[in-house]
Parts: sequence; C-alpha cells; structure tokens
Amino acid sequence: MPNARVLRDIKARNVVKANEVLRRAYLYVARNETLSPQVRHQAQLQLNTFGKYTRPTTVKNRCSESGRGRGIISEFALCRYQFRLKALKLELPGVHKASW
Amino acid sequence: MAAAAIRPMRLAALTKTRCSIFQTAYNPTSARTGAKYLRARLRGPSMVNYYPPEANIAQIIRQWPELEMRNYAEEERLQDVEDKKKRGKGAPKKAKEKGDSRRAGRKR
Repeated sequence: MPNARVLRDIKARNVVKANEVLRRAYLYVARNETLSPQVRHQAQLQLNTFGKYTRPTTVKNRCSESGRGRGIISEFALCRYQFRLKALKLELPGVHKASW
Repeated sequence: MAAAAIRPMRLAALTKTRCSIFQTAYNPTSARTGAKYLRARLRGPSMVNYYPPEANIAQIIRQWPELEMRNYAEEERLQDVEDKKKRGKGAPKKAKEKGDSRRAGRKR
C-alpha cells in the first residue's frame, strides 16, 4: 500500500488527465489576443473554477518504492537510496556500480 | 557587393509565401494566438503511467472468493483498531448536531 502522499499524487494524475482537454481549450481562448476581451475574461473565469488537482503542476514525481518526494531519479521513478539498493541487487537492467 | 536594400513589402510577401508552403500560420505582428496550448502534446496519458500498477488484494478477494485468500495487512489493522478501543483510545464519537462537536466547545 503506497503512502498517503503517493495516493494523493495518483489522484492528481488521474484528475489532470480527465480535465486536460477542456482546460487546454479554455487556456487557448483565454490567452488568445485576437479574441475579444469579454470572451477571454469569461474563459479565464471558467479556468478559475477548475479544482486544485486539475493543474499539471500539482503532480510531483515521487519514489515508486518508498514514496519519497526528493532526490528522485526520474528515469527509474526511484529516490536515490532506493535506486542504490536496487542497483546493488542488480534489479535495474544496465545499471551497475562504477569501478575502475 | 551586397544587393540593394530589399523593401519590407517584398520581405512580407516572401514570409507569406513561405507560410503557405510549409503550412504555418502567418502572424506578422507576433500576436499571441494561444496556439501553443493546442500544439503541445497532452501530458495526462504519460502522467498516469508513472507509478507501476499495484495489485488490489481486497478487490481480488472480493472477485474470487473461491481462492480463500486472506488480507493479512487489513486483518492486522482491524485488530489494532479493536485493541485501541479496548484501551479507550478509539476514534471520538461523531456529533449528532453542530453544537455537540468537540470543535464547537473550543475557545478560540
């Protein structure tokens, strides 16, 4: 069972995906300088009604093993410590400890 | 020797032709059209696949009861809750009305 912060992040990811197309459409209208200011303002007001988790910036890559939020190596979705543990156990293909 | 100065009108015509050939929008004043929000790829589909899928044990047990599997983590959690209740450390009673809530009695 992932920790609460990971569960929240998973939720945010799903909500972002569900609302992405609609949000983009409103963004297009709101940021389009060729449209009338009234229309753009209405679009901006609509954008403001979207929930917190519909914004892609609320999504944070966390460690898929420990749930840690800092020191993530995003290619492996692991934090630096879990990355080290897994690499030493040879569970990451193509990764091995440097020695020369 | 450099050619004589090209008139801006000719340059504009050149840009217009280039736009029609390469199917790009002709926008000489660089007005913000919001096109970048439509052009950018959708990020949701790849975002959802970040965490590896995890098996939901409770759901498996519900779906196939004939397997007679047990959810040890859940059983342990429920046992812990029972033990805490016995020691008087359970969750507080829910208030029936707003006045009964613990929050209402707080001074602040």
